[in-house]
Amino acid sequence: MEAGRIHCDLLVIGAGMAGASAALFAAKRGLKTVLVGSTAGLQFAGGMLDLLGVQAPNTANIPALRPWEAMAALIQEQPLHPYARIPLQEIRRAFVEFTELLASAGLSYYCEPENNLQIITSLGTRKTTYLVPKSMQSNAAALAQKPPCLLVDFEGLKGFSARQISATLGKHWPGLRHASISLNGAVHKSYPQPLAWELENQAVRAVLVKALRKQLQGEEVIGLPAVLGLASAGQVQAELEKELGLKVFEIPMLPPSMPGLRLKETMEKLFVNLGIQTLLQRQVQKVARSEGDGFTAYIGPDEPLTMVRARGILLASGRFFGKGLHATRKGILETIFNLPVYQPENRALWHHEDLLHSQGHPINRAGLETDENFRPLNSDGNAAFPNLFAAGTILAHNDWMHLKCGSGLSLATAYAAVNAFVQTRSNAFG
Amino acid sequence: MVLTLSFYISLALFFLGLLVRMIGWLRVEIGTETGRIGLFTAVFSSLKAVLLTLLSPRIFKIMAVLITEIGLQLPLLKNGFLRWLAHMCMFYGFLLLVLMHALDETVTAALFQDYAATLNPFLFLRNLFGAMVLLGMALACLNRIGRGRKFKATNTNDLVLMILLGLILFSGFLLESVKIFSEPAFDRMAADYMGAEDEDDLEALKVYWSREFHVVFAQPPGSDDLETGRNLHMENCAACHSRPEAAFLSLPLSDRLRPLALWLNRSQADLWLWYFHFGVCFLAMILLPFTKFFHFISVPLSLMLRAADPPAPAPMPHKNPARLALEMDACTHCGVCSEHCSVAPIRRIIPNDHILPSEKLTGVKKLAHGKRLDPDVLESLSQGSFICTECYRCTQRCPSGLSLQTLWQLSKQTLAAKDFPEPHGWVRQYAADQWADRLEQSPADHPLCEDFARHRHVSESPETFSACIQCSICTNVCPVVSAGNGLTPPDMTPQQVMNLLRLNLKDLALGSRMVWDCVTCYLCQEHCPQGIRVTDILYDLRNIATRRLQQVRQLGPETPKTALPVASPPAAVRKNAL
Ligand SMILES: Cc1cc2nc3c(=O)[nH]c(=O)nc-3n(C[C@H](O)[C@H](O)[C@H](O)COP(=O)(O)OP(=O)(O)OC[C@H]3O[C@@H](n4cnc5c(N)ncnc54)[C@H](O)[C@@H]3O)c2cc1C
Ligand code: SF4
Ligand code: SF4
Ligand code: SF4
Repeated sequence: MEAGRIHCDLLVIGAGMAGASAALFAAKRGLKTVLVGSTAGLQFAGGMLDLLGVQAPNTANIPALRPWEAMAALIQEQPLHPYARIPLQEIRRAFVEFTELLASAGLSYYCEPENNLQIITSLGTRKTTYLVPKSMQSNAAALAQKPPCLLVDFEGLKGFSARQISATLGKHWPGLRHASISLNGAVHKSYPQPLAWELENQAVRAVLVKALRKQLQGEEVIGLPAVLGLASAGQVQAELEKELGLKVFEIPMLPPSMPGLRLKETMEKLFVNLGIQTLLQRQVQKVARSEGDGFTAYIGPDEPLTMVRARGILLASGRFFGKGLHATRKGILETIFNLPVYQPENRALWHHEDLLHSQGHPINRAGLETDENFRPLNSDGNAAFPNLFAAGTILAHNDWMHLKCGSGLSLATAYAAVNAFVQTRSNAFG
Repeated sequence: MVLTLSFYISLALFFLGLLVRMIGWLRVEIGTETGRIGLFTAVFSSLKAVLLTLLSPRIFKIMAVLITEIGLQLPLLKNGFLRWLAHMCMFYGFLLLVLMHALDETVTAALFQDYAATLNPFLFLRNLFGAMVLLGMALACLNRIGRGRKFKATNTNDLVLMILLGLILFSGFLLESVKIFSEPAFDRMAADYMGAEDEDDLEALKVYWSREFHVVFAQPPGSDDLETGRNLHMENCAACHSRPEAAFLSLPLSDRLRPLALWLNRSQADLWLWYFHFGVCFLAMILLPFTKFFHFISVPLSLMLRAADPPAPAPMPHKNPARLALEMDACTHCGVCSEHCSVAPIRRIIPNDHILPSEKLTGVKKLAHGKRLDPDVLESLSQGSFICTECYRCTQRCPSGLSLQTLWQLSKQTLAAKDFPEPHGWVRQYAADQWADRLEQSPADHPLCEDFARHRHVSESPETFSACIQCSICTNVCPVVSAGNGLTPPDMTPQQVMNLLRLNLKDLALGSRMVWDCVTCYLCQEHCPQGIRVTDILYDLRNIATRRLQQVRQLGPETPKTALPVASPPAAVRKNAL
């Protein structure tokens, strides 16, 4: 091996939900995997993973309660959507495998396999999603069954008001009460992260339990902002429930929230556990073809660049926010390989005039088109390289914000692309 | 008679000066922990300490220091052979000149029965010692010129010492040279020691002396009876006069001056030079306590006091103001500390001599002696002082044994008490918006000094912060935000500071607690999803604030809002920005 070079089977470009989960899937399949990119995006999902949140693409305001049924409708209406490329069983397996991975690193998630869940948010709205942190299981149950419930906020904590939530939800929820508690003397934190760290401390939790007991008037369940610990969140919640003798649930705050942070940190822990070599917060500057059909990627931004030789690459560099796509006057470009990007004919067609158009904006479906093995196409319509794959939001024909399918799309396509890479390799060797 | 009288007057003045200087030590105040010491207590306690030390085994340590540090000057050797050589030459040359030559009647004559100033080896030795001092001075000058390229290495004190020393040496050698060819001197000696001999003998002696002893006569001697001259010389003069060749510096000088000899002899130059030479010597003696000559006394004292300190393992640095005053007087401005100072390189960016310990000491000394200093000087002294990291290197290196680090710690206290604390201190005088008002009020945007303007500021270019999406991750990870909650919450968070930059309200951020309390842990920068250099920006703001707020710091405390020129951001915008 040459000095200063890293050799691997699969180089994953992008450490958002798609890239990060792809790296985990690949490492689990025994591939020597290198992951490059920023993990910050993991935190923004807020810890809740959507599969498909809307009933049908053109009725985006109707939440889908039975996502697999909605999926069938979607595939029918948008046959080019990446979901249409993957057997539904595979999508289910992607979620199961991912959930197991998280559990193996100590972070429990919850879902009802056939249904979407609806969660109370800090805005007092309901969020429809598929897979949620265990700490929100009772949140969904409470919203569904509406038992006598106490919503509590912390004095001084910014961005969370129990009164505001109950003002919105209370109309249809007679047993809903709200209270404000102060942990003064123990702690006083204005921001969720410092507060979450404090609650890792047993003594602070004792103060919290005492303060909560004072407020209870026979409620069966308590909703708190999602600040119940970080590294040992599960234990914190379990202990509160045991001490109080009732259910306690978390209400997600605006991203980047603590459940998002837990997810990010758990995945970073998994990178280590599975032996993935990471080049986090770094960027691929350019990629060259090297002999034997491999790739050599040059990783910066700072000199000297790190060289990574890979047998295959999985491109999960996201869209504009992730910087996988770049909008110029002339059109939208893919930033690393300069692959052809499916996009509206011209800039004028990027957006509908109606900002909240029920179909979503055409620009949000721009991206890479692929073959059935998730290999991006060249301008001739063939796979650009036999060993270059793509996954996540960079794929064309998906408007994940509109359809509320961001994380699921990333997970499922990552899963499918990794499997396709494994398949082509065994074909080559077989 | 006149000579003796002036000697004793000078000696009295010298002692008076010494006394004044030492009483000055008691009036020194430095730091806010210790006060002044009364005269009685000081005298009593020093006497007690001296006695106790003399009776304790520490006396051996002091003797050892006397030999190694003062006799052999090993601390200087540690700082370079040439420096050591130069100082050894000057020190021993001058010391021996004083003992053997200046005090010849008391010292040399007592030791050597047949001592005469013009007899070998004394004649030769005088030249040798003088030459040593000259060599030492030359080396020292070269050294200073070399260092002078890096910073101002020489101050008035150094110059005064060099000039006085130079004058003494120069007049001494000149006197000897002129005396060699002096006819009046010959006449006086002949009259005193030959008695009233006849004219022929005198002529013969003159011939001999003009040939062999380089005397120049107005009337060339009428005889050429060298033999008689030699005999007469052996009889009358040889007991006190060696041949002038031993004066290996004075004789060549004398030969150079020969063309002027007749005129010089006529105008009695030897007499005038004699007065001059003694005059400067007395002057030097009188001035000794107030010039750098004083280090003859203060350095050995300082070194011996240090040796008398309670022994290791844990020597507590003393904070005795009187002793610190003595130590400050022992600074020879040799510049060794500045050569080794950890923060000296900063002076290349910030052109403030007070960053260098050797220069800072001058200011600190004035401060400690209660001298009035201009606000500008205090400002610059404060800047230099607070850049110091108290790393101890200067203390370790100082050949005169100054407790420099202690001095810096205490002088910082004094400066802070005088309302010249470090920027971290004075920036808290006003709240962030008050500072912003002041900046608005200040008549013009003061140009930043050149070196500062040259520097590229990360906070100046929008590319550094415009990508901020106000996600609050930086705020959430910040330990200062977390620690401050409830107790003294920072007035804004890193995220809000970034927002102020995005809204072009930078002035509002400069005096904020967040900018100044940031511990540069880099958590925010490492966690920012947008790769914004949050910490670097905060640090840069601090640098800018140090300069800009300094400029408006002296504006009166009142900031009448109505009188303000209507400037860019209305209050409502500012409020929303937070
Ligand atoms: C504001 C916000 C809200 C969200 N809300 C939800 C939600 O409600 N529900 C939900 O399920 N999900 C949500 N998400 C998460 C969303 O699902 C994920 O962002 C998306 O699925 C991840 O897509 P991705 O991994 O393809 O791309 P991204 O997350 O955009 O990741 C792109 C990655 O590529 C890397 N990259 C780009 N160029 C290079 C290069 N040259 N070299 C190396 N690396 C490169 C970037 O560093 C980054 O790591 C939200 C995200 C955001 C930002
Ligand atoms: S203590 Fe201060 S002055 Fe002395 S060397 Fe260290 S930084 Fe320089
Ligand atoms: S973390 Fe970065 S993007 Fe987020 S608010 Fe701070 S500076 Fe802005
Ligand atoms: S570098 Fe400063 S602002 Fe950033 S997290 Fe650390 S203390 Fe806070």
